[in-house]
Amino acid sequence: MKRLSYAFLLTALMSACNTVVLDPPAVDLLIDDIVFTTASDLPSVRIGLYSAARSIGSPTVQAGDFTADNIIHLGTFTDYRELGTKQITPSNGVVGALWGSVFRSIYLANFVLERLPTIASVRAADAKALTAEAKFLRGYANFIGAHTFGGIPKVTSTTLATNRTIPRASKEEILTWALEDLQAALADLPDGDPQDRNVFAGYATKNAARAALARYYLYQKNWAQAEAYATLLINSTNYSLVSYNDVVTKDFTQESIFEFGYTLNDYSGDINNYFVGRREVVPSNQVVVSLLSRESGNRSQTLVFDFTKQKGNDNGWTLRKYGTADESNRNFVIFRLGEMYLIRAEARAQQGKITGTTGAIADINRLRTRAGDGLADSAKPPLITTATQSEMLSIIERERVYELSFEGHRWYDLVRTGRAQAVMSAFSTNWNVKYELWPIPQTEIQRNPSLAGQQNPGY
Amino acid sequence: MNQLLRKSFFILSMTLGFYGALWAQNRTITGKVTSATDAQPLPGVNVTLKGATTGVSTDAEGSYRIVVPDGKVTLAFSFVGMLSQEVVVTNRTIINVELLESPTQLNEVVVTGYTTTQQKDVISAMTTVKGDRLKNLPVSGIDQALQGQAAGVRVSAASGTPGGGVKVVIRGNTSINASNRPLMIVDGIPVYDGAVSQFSYGGQQDNAISAFNTSDVESIQVLKDASAKAIYGARGANGVVLITTKRGKANQKTNITFDVQRGVSDVVKRLDLLSSSEILTLQREAVANFNAKQTRFQDMVDPDALGLIPGVTDAVNTNWVDEVLRKGIYQQYQLSTSGGNDRTRFYLSGSYRDEEGVQLNNRFARYTGSFNLDHKASPKLSFGLNLSIGSTKNRRVFSDNAVDGVYGSALRSLPYYAPFNEQSKLYTPNDPNYQGFPNGNPVAEALLPRQLTYGIKFLGGVNAEYAFMPNLRLRTKFSMDYNGSQEDTYNPTGTFYGSLPSVGGQGYGAYGTSSLATFLNSTILTYNTSISEDHHISGLVGGELLHSQGLTSGVQGRVFPRDEFTYISSAGVVDAGSSFFTQNGLVSGFGEIKYDYKNKYLFSATARYDGSSRFGQDRKFGFFPSASVGWRLKEENFLKDVDFIEDIKLRASYGYTGNERIGNYQFLGTWDATTYNGSSGVGPNSLSNPNLQWERTREANIGLDVAFWKGRLSFTAEVYDNLTDALLFAEPLPATTGFGSLQGNIGSISNRGLEFTLRSVNFDGAFRWTTDLNVSRNDNKVVSLASEQPLYRGFSAAGVGATNVIKVGEPLGTFWGLKYLGVDVATGDALYEDFNGDGRITTDDAQVIGNAQPKLIGGLTNTFSWNGFDVSAFLQFSYGNSVMNYGNSFLLNPGTDLRVNQTRASLRRWQKAGDITDVPRYEYNNTYNSYSSSRLVEDGSYLRLKNVAIGYTVPAKWTSKIKLGTVRLYATGTNLWTLTRYTGADPEVSTLDGSTAAQGIDFFTLPQVKTIVGGVTVNF
Repeated sequence: MKRLSYAFLLTALMSACNTVVLDPPAVDLLIDDIVFTTASDLPSVRIGLYSAARSIGSPTVQAGDFTADNIIHLGTFTDYRELGTKQITPSNGVVGALWGSVFRSIYLANFVLERLPTIASVRAADAKALTAEAKFLRGYANFIGAHTFGGIPKVTSTTLATNRTIPRASKEEILTWALEDLQAALADLPDGDPQDRNVFAGYATKNAARAALARYYLYQKNWAQAEAYATLLINSTNYSLVSYNDVVTKDFTQESIFEFGYTLNDYSGDINNYFVGRREVVPSNQVVVSLLSRESGNRSQTLVFDFTKQKGNDNGWTLRKYGTADESNRNFVIFRLGEMYLIRAEARAQQGKITGTTGAIADINRLRTRAGDGLADSAKPPLITTATQSEMLSIIERERVYELSFEGHRWYDLVRTGRAQAVMSAFSTNWNVKYELWPIPQTEIQRNPSLAGQQNPGY
Repeated sequence: MNQLLRKSFFILSMTLGFYGALWAQNRTITGKVTSATDAQPLPGVNVTLKGATTGVSTDAEGSYRIVVPDGKVTLAFSFVGMLSQEVVVTNRTIINVELLESPTQLNEVVVTGYTTTQQKDVISAMTTVKGDRLKNLPVSGIDQALQGQAAGVRVSAASGTPGGGVKVVIRGNTSINASNRPLMIVDGIPVYDGAVSQFSYGGQQDNAISAFNTSDVESIQVLKDASAKAIYGARGANGVVLITTKRGKANQKTNITFDVQRGVSDVVKRLDLLSSSEILTLQREAVANFNAKQTRFQDMVDPDALGLIPGVTDAVNTNWVDEVLRKGIYQQYQLSTSGGNDRTRFYLSGSYRDEEGVQLNNRFARYTGSFNLDHKASPKLSFGLNLSIGSTKNRRVFSDNAVDGVYGSALRSLPYYAPFNEQSKLYTPNDPNYQGFPNGNPVAEALLPRQLTYGIKFLGGVNAEYAFMPNLRLRTKFSMDYNGSQEDTYNPTGTFYGSLPSVGGQGYGAYGTSSLATFLNSTILTYNTSISEDHHISGLVGGELLHSQGLTSGVQGRVFPRDEFTYISSAGVVDAGSSFFTQNGLVSGFGEIKYDYKNKYLFSATARYDGSSRFGQDRKFGFFPSASVGWRLKEENFLKDVDFIEDIKLRASYGYTGNERIGNYQFLGTWDATTYNGSSGVGPNSLSNPNLQWERTREANIGLDVAFWKGRLSFTAEVYDNLTDALLFAEPLPATTGFGSLQGNIGSISNRGLEFTLRSVNFDGAFRWTTDLNVSRNDNKVVSLASEQPLYRGFSAAGVGATNVIKVGEPLGTFWGLKYLGVDVATGDALYEDFNGDGRITTDDAQVIGNAQPKLIGGLTNTFSWNGFDVSAFLQFSYGNSVMNYGNSFLLNPGTDLRVNQTRASLRRWQKAGDITDVPRYEYNNTYNSYSSSRLVEDGSYLRLKNVAIGYTVPAKWTSKIKLGTVRLYATGTNLWTLTRYTGADPEVSTLDGSTAAQGIDFFTLPQVKTIVGGVTVNF
């Protein structure tokens, strides 16, 4: 009897304690069912979307500059030794990071696009704007993915079962989809308020979509469209070329069209750490010579020299474009006006428009004029007066180095212009044509059966 | 026929005796029998009249009443587990007797979960380690003290750093992702034994159990099979370690013991690295080999421009390892007292321990105090108290399994740099002769930062027991285990971190706190009875409620005005603040039934029903049953009279246990806080799995216990077969899903093994020699995984991804890499096996290249005592395990990275065609020759003289003159001798504490230390 009543007591005790002991509320976490159910949840999910997308920034710089001839490796990390000495393997961590950030962004965009229509209380205008932002970021992610890895899986939903065995789509299919997204985004994105540059360039606007399309068409060799979109931005009164020093040391300048924003508290600082803190990598001698040349002008401010660092393999040069958390150049600039001039110049040159107000020379001279600001006449970059088409294209290739080094362009430029083999073989004896695409990360091939045997050639 | 005759004779003699008593002049003797240990009444004691057949048993109060004839008689008192006693009675009528515990091993009382039993009745697999076995080991933690002491228990310290993490694995690894640590219970209170502090010190962690004084331990019980562990249900799968602390004895003179130890320690081995001129020659050769491969002049590298100038560069020759290591001074003082009367018993102790690490500036100091009290308020009601407080101050250095750690940097640093300049000042980042990234100045990194971890462990419990009847008792206990840590660090501008531009270059300070408190109430009801003389039944039911909560916080400060200002109040920028709270709970009911027939056939069944907050909504409760049978052959007639056999017992058990340490909130699909551009929002964190549950282990065990010659020789053999399924498994997902993994319960691991324990008293008498041997083997194997695809874990490995693999059919701790076939005699390049036969060496050629699981582990202890002298020697071994010398991917890297010193093995590198060697040629920037391969995997077997102790107890005739009890002088040495083929500093490594996939990796692990300690124990 006693035992029975004891058992009864125990049962009562247990049920009372069930909620306290067995279901303690989780703190600082949201259960996914309730994350996006009402209109008031929209702002926090939107931040999550941008937060995912901005992790594309750093690995893109590493793809664009570290894979190419802009750095040499000094440090100890295998990932960077592989990139620096052109011995990239599918297990490289940076390769995995870029792939992961691309698909993380696509997941969030898909999540927003799937959930948004189910929430009745959202205002139509808000829904339209967020849809456009999701498509813009998804389009950009696919654009980067396709040009880095070639054909990647086309992930159109958040369905786990589908996405874990999804096969590669062709590069063309991905790029077509990216174009659809960017065009749809252009239609519905807001114009933005140029007074508040942190928001104007920190979030997607119509102009950001135009800039993305300008670069998209340049890569597609659709010169007319590239020229047209670049012109829209160059003619916009919302942007102007700022001093190159500001390009190097400031975020959200008047020139900036879209950048991934960080603050003191959430700054990862990895690029700064690789160049400055660890000196894992330093600018290569080639890029130092280029940036110090007269043609480059004040764009030499991209770098700074410190003789105490110069020893052994270390040439003593340091990148300034990515500052520490305390400095005001924490962001990754994705599109800025300077690039639009270069896109238009190249598109025009390719169309045979070299001279005159609608010629490539005018655009390049615009950048060279800025690069001469504050310099003695004898040190100012020479303005171009005449050039053949092939000379012009070679001038533009050099000009892109001066202007856009360490903003994640060089390798993509060399590959799309067919110059990679010539330039990179001269830079490194290890260069191989396979490095014109990054490998699919080893872990993806291991985890996704549909990718077995689908590695890029040569890896 | 024979039986019948004997029975009739028995009845006849009883009857005759009865009548005989009637005829004689009789008197009655009454009295009470109690235990000398705790003054508890002893029911069921046989009281017999010597020379007659009269006999009675004591009742529940320990009282008896016996009728004896007049005159001088002798009463005999006997009881299992107690020394029999005879009392000669002439005319007294009240005889109270205290029985002493019998010292034979068979009758020893052992703690079995929530109750106790006698060793001879144990029908499950468990091993006892007596506290006095630990007294000679100058280790700080109980976990480390268990090393080599019990079959089936594998203990490895993460490094030679004092107060550091220790890995304890019982009967093999059961889990990939959940904890593999056994459940540790001190006096019925589950205690936290992992890392408390939150800041990273490389691979080095702190260890909550090191705040607990080993000297307070009376005995340790290791529970190994389902029948022993199922009472702990969802927490039992990794084994249970029951620690019983010392308590006072009833009616004992108050006894005071003072013990002082002092000693000195050094690493077991210092690696032999190259001198300045040797490494310089090597570096120039590597550059020359690089240049020889270049086809264009502009690609060639001038070794002089790299700073490799003979006669200039090698003017300095620093032995960096000697610069950062020292001999550590160790001291410990302990004072304890215990005593009691028949109602109250106590034990009180205090200790101070101060242990200098062998790394510069590393020091672990500890204060402990403990108080145990038992009081009997009435024959029915008693209560007790356990209190134990430990406070530690750990002056840490960033080290162990870390590239940039002090020890790691010292190994890698080039000898032509120096730690001090001409003015004996440390080179710091702003000095021109500073070695620079990546090695920095390891001496400065050790000496300059302030890196303190203050730890506190509080273990307290109160319990009360009420006996409704002597055989029906209710016991309840409230307890708390609190572990706290405060971390206070400052890296001045002279250090690498303090000078980092990204933190402002003006010092870096961080402060953090973390605490973990577990509250527990357990209540049990026990009952035992006998039906006739032959059937003994006992049982218990109980309930338990457990709630844990953890709080952490941290803040960092940067940009300090000067290095004199080191606290965050003075920092120019204070940021990266954090705080977090987490909790979990367990609600359980459990029960046990034991039955034996004539002490011959034994049976027990145990079960527990556990509900845990960590399990998914659809799997909140788990049920863990077990059963066990035993057969004491000795009680059978055919063995009863075989004198030399003391006991033979065959037993078998089967049951289920679980592992609920799968992390909190893992079953929820969650979003957590994130930021963008100064705004905050939410981002997806994990996918939900409402079916997430405990890991389940099915355990089967067969054991044999044999004792000969009154226990002079005894052995135990065990064989077991365990299968853990429903593994907690973060199933890796391709990134195309948006997530990296999904928490699930997939896959299974099997552990099968044999254990053998032997105890022998070789000589007994004035000269006493005992031998204890334990040997065990465990075969661990991954039986199934989520998919056929192996999982890659461990450190990143050049050319192959990762150092470790989890693969079906292979054990955990399997090494992954290319198979190294030696050096091409013609070219000097490494040769690897083209595993997939595609004509190229790629990532796809990686294969299994060894594993860290030993084939045999064990320990052998011999003790000798003679005329006051005592000597003990404890050998411990591990056989058949591989160690990955991951440090050699830096220290024997064929030219990949020139800024690293090399081991002496580099001197036998390939230099010219025709050289036959195992070290490839050195070529600057070549990564091919340093791919992660079996070149790095070595035999890690070792035999180690873990401890040797010599003591002398001063004869009582001298000590009694100065009013002392016993005085023992002793000296003990640990790790004095090691036999191994391993070429690194120490084969005893357990990298990545807590990781099961990456074991046995020597990655700049600070070697174990050898210690020589002298001490004296005074008792009065």
